[in-house]
Amino acid sequence: MKKIRLLLVDDESDFLTAYSRRFVRRNAEISLATSGEEAIEKVIANSYDVVILDVMMPGMNGIETLRRIKAIDSSLPVIILTGHADSKVLGEGMECGAFDYLLKPVGTDELYFKVLDAVRARQFATA
Amino acid sequence: MAGILKTVCNLIRGTSAKKDQSPEDFLAKSENFRLLLAANNRTLELMSEMTAQSLSDQTFGMAYIRGMSVRIEAGVRQMVQRLCLMRPGKYDGLKDACDRIVAKLEEALDGRGDRHACSLVLGIERINAGSISEVGSKMAMLGEIRSELGLHVPQGFSITASAFHLFMESGGLDDEINRLIQICDCDGGSLEKLLELEDRIQKMIEAVEIPLVMEREIFKESERLGNVRLAVRSSAVGEDSEHASFAGQFRSELGVKADDLLGAYRKIVASLYSTTAMAYRLNHGLREDDMVMCVGCLEVVDAMAGGVLYTRPPIGDDDGRLVINAVPGLPCSVVNGSSSVDIWVIDRDSLTICDTEVAEKELRYVQTSSGRVRRERLYGDMRFEPSISDKVAKKLAKTALRIEEHFKRPQDIEWALDRDGRIFILQCRPLSVCGVNTSSVSESTEDRAFAILSSGVSASPGIAAGYVFFVQTDDDMARFPDGGVLLSRNARPQLAALLPRAAAVITEFGSSVGHLANVAREFGVPALIGASEAVERLSGVSVVTVNGDTGTVYLGRRKELLKQVKERRSDFGESEVKSVLNQVLQHITPLSLTDPNSPDFKPESCASLHDITRYCHEKAVAEMFMHGRRPVANARRLVGDLPMRYWLVDIGGGTVNSGDGKYIGLEYIRSNAMKALWKGMTAIPWEGPPPVNAGGLASIISQAASNPALVPGVANDMGERSYFIVGTNYCNLQSRFGFHFCTVEGFAGEDPDRNYALFQFKGGGADPVRRQNRSHLVGEALERHGFIVTIRNDALFARMEGVSGEAVERALAVVGYMLIHTRQIDMVMSDQSAVRHYQEKFDRDIEYILSHLSSEYIDRGQLS
Repeated sequence: MKKIRLLLVDDESDFLTAYSRRFVRRNAEISLATSGEEAIEKVIANSYDVVILDVMMPGMNGIETLRRIKAIDSSLPVIILTGHADSKVLGEGMECGAFDYLLKPVGTDELYFKVLDAVRARQFATA
Repeated sequence: MAGILKTVCNLIRGTSAKKDQSPEDFLAKSENFRLLLAANNRTLELMSEMTAQSLSDQTFGMAYIRGMSVRIEAGVRQMVQRLCLMRPGKYDGLKDACDRIVAKLEEALDGRGDRHACSLVLGIERINAGSISEVGSKMAMLGEIRSELGLHVPQGFSITASAFHLFMESGGLDDEINRLIQICDCDGGSLEKLLELEDRIQKMIEAVEIPLVMEREIFKESERLGNVRLAVRSSAVGEDSEHASFAGQFRSELGVKADDLLGAYRKIVASLYSTTAMAYRLNHGLREDDMVMCVGCLEVVDAMAGGVLYTRPPIGDDDGRLVINAVPGLPCSVVNGSSSVDIWVIDRDSLTICDTEVAEKELRYVQTSSGRVRRERLYGDMRFEPSISDKVAKKLAKTALRIEEHFKRPQDIEWALDRDGRIFILQCRPLSVCGVNTSSVSESTEDRAFAILSSGVSASPGIAAGYVFFVQTDDDMARFPDGGVLLSRNARPQLAALLPRAAAVITEFGSSVGHLANVAREFGVPALIGASEAVERLSGVSVVTVNGDTGTVYLGRRKELLKQVKERRSDFGESEVKSVLNQVLQHITPLSLTDPNSPDFKPESCASLHDITRYCHEKAVAEMFMHGRRPVANARRLVGDLPMRYWLVDIGGGTVNSGDGKYIGLEYIRSNAMKALWKGMTAIPWEGPPPVNAGGLASIISQAASNPALVPGVANDMGERSYFIVGTNYCNLQSRFGFHFCTVEGFAGEDPDRNYALFQFKGGGADPVRRQNRSHLVGEALERHGFIVTIRNDALFARMEGVSGEAVERALAVVGYMLIHTRQIDMVMSDQSAVRHYQEKFDRDIEYILSHLSSEYIDRGQLS
């Protein structure tokens, strides 16, 4: 089976390493970015199946990052994963075309299934 | 992948009767439908969990409510988005409905409500009882007795609520703390998680800059006092209330130099998030986002002696006396429980001394000439000298009674005597009085023989038993067992974090007027404080029974004594957090949109998030299968000898070309997932509804009367009609059998990582208890076949993941069987023999079906 190419964007490196280790075991190919700016560069330069995006980051925040990613590739699914239980961010995120909004802490399984959902939804949307 | 999809598209193009929808659009629509259903399942599960939480007595904080609300909102928004994608333009009104409900929900969630701008710093001479929301209760009370009663209180100032808000909002501290609490997930009150959280929050608070304007104001006031060393104390808004004293939970710093004021301020703000304070809030159900920490900065009184005074006995009946506790030097050792104390008992009316008890004191705290606070060991006769004279004791009593008279309630007063003989009031707050009925508890001769310790002073009444656990270090605290008897040398306030889990408390030192005793009384945990030699006598002992009424400890579990105890926990009533949860739930769970045929079945009528999910689900099913009475393109009716009406949509590879656009026979089904499910549904014919007794019938009638969705006409609309969505390895079934809704979904392919089966059902015609019993019966059967099952009230959620395709097929067969054969049995679920009957029948039947299925794997024959 083809590997899923994932871009994880979070300013907390502990968080990134923990999740990426678990995803690699599940046959995913992981790229990491620790800021919105870095994420944008990577999205421009590479091809991903799904982006998992934190909201509160120094520099460009998650919503702005989401907007720009969508401007680059509107079909690329972006899953917001944040510790901020904030209805406003949720509303804005969905409005900007986020695939879904998940709240930390989230189990690896739940996140992984969400990623699979996103991959599948994209294939159908662009079939 | 694209290639496969093209093939699928062609396949559908071939089978589709109507050409008004392109295969690509159809696939996208099906996918949106699938995602909508997934969001629906998740959202309903979360709603059930939240409802169950509101009925349970588990502890939780605001982070839980916020987290759950936003998760539910996310699911609902996902559903709205998917429905809008299924049929662009038609359902846009839902977004407004959603926004409207969410706005109400946010209002219910809002913390730290009314704010008015005020000075960042207020001198004590400008403070009185009316300043409470700006300076917190401690400082407000001090300001009040200074201005109204002319009593001596230390000079000083308050760093106000406005300053706190400014500090918390600067650099997004507030948001960041909420985030840390959210991701820590420590509602269970795990001490380890709380300790880690405390550490992270405190580090963050230490790192945040104090806004310049605040810094300037603080230093200006400090200069006005002559830059003396100050006592910096918490004065939180809401602290010291009668039902939640927060006694000793927050930090105080003594002898703070002007240069260190900001650091001390940070530490005290951070103590809002100490493990002790967080555990306390969790267990009292207080909002963590609502606390406002005001800070009092007061001159340190150069005390000869000091202590605590209760204007009534804190335990037992009011005998007309007040109690003074005193120590030499600064009074910090009284409240933190680190030393023994002298006691005076004084009659309130005559002010005569009824009793004096001078203890042997090991140490005292004194202020050095530089203003620092130092601990001193006491030697020789000094250890036995009374801390104050009887004359001072009487003067204290008089002052205390004036304060009680002013505030019209019993008081807990911290005082100090300065070198000029003046009495200073350092703090006063309402005293929570705890009644005890000693006469009702009798001790048998046999019990008496097991007494191993009777030197303790009863600090909190009640009787409890448990394993003795000696706590010296933080590590010990982390290892403290639930229901243990907490044994410690000192009555440290930090130990309060263990009280919700402790059966009883025994300490060698400390006083019944200290913080730990205070909190023990609030939690209704029996406590003996100042039980000399307790550690020595109880070391090596396993289980003891503690009688907090008499101060006695017995070996073993004294059943006769324990039998006489009623419910131990004091009742806090509906807690603050629970009341927020209930208010929030008002906008989430009530279902008013029940009849899809009613003209009111529209977005504008949605009053809760549940209504929106109901609306989305109904409309999505209609978009996918039916328009009015006409099936939509690609939806076909299953034909054959079928007990019910079934509709089917193939999203690709689930059927082979049947040649007829409107109908499809079972023989054309290719989806392995649907075949397995169907096998389970049909292999054993349903024996019909169970014979119902009068009670069961009455239960259904009364339910139908109170729930319009159960009225027959309404039920029939969607009732007995089921919808399959199938793909090569995929099957989803939405159905309503009689009174209950079910969803079954499964993917049975080659990659275990992608495989899953899930089953969800809710509702029924009988009363909630019978429905719940059915859920348990079904849940247990599913668990025996490898499902992970969650049951909340009458809703059941079962899932299985990461297994082989064959395992998913077997699981679907089990679910299919349960789906058909548990219909209407909720009516007889109050009958134990019926429950057993069904248990046995289910096991037998399922075994038969699975063995059949296994043999089919061998020859892979055609279905049915």
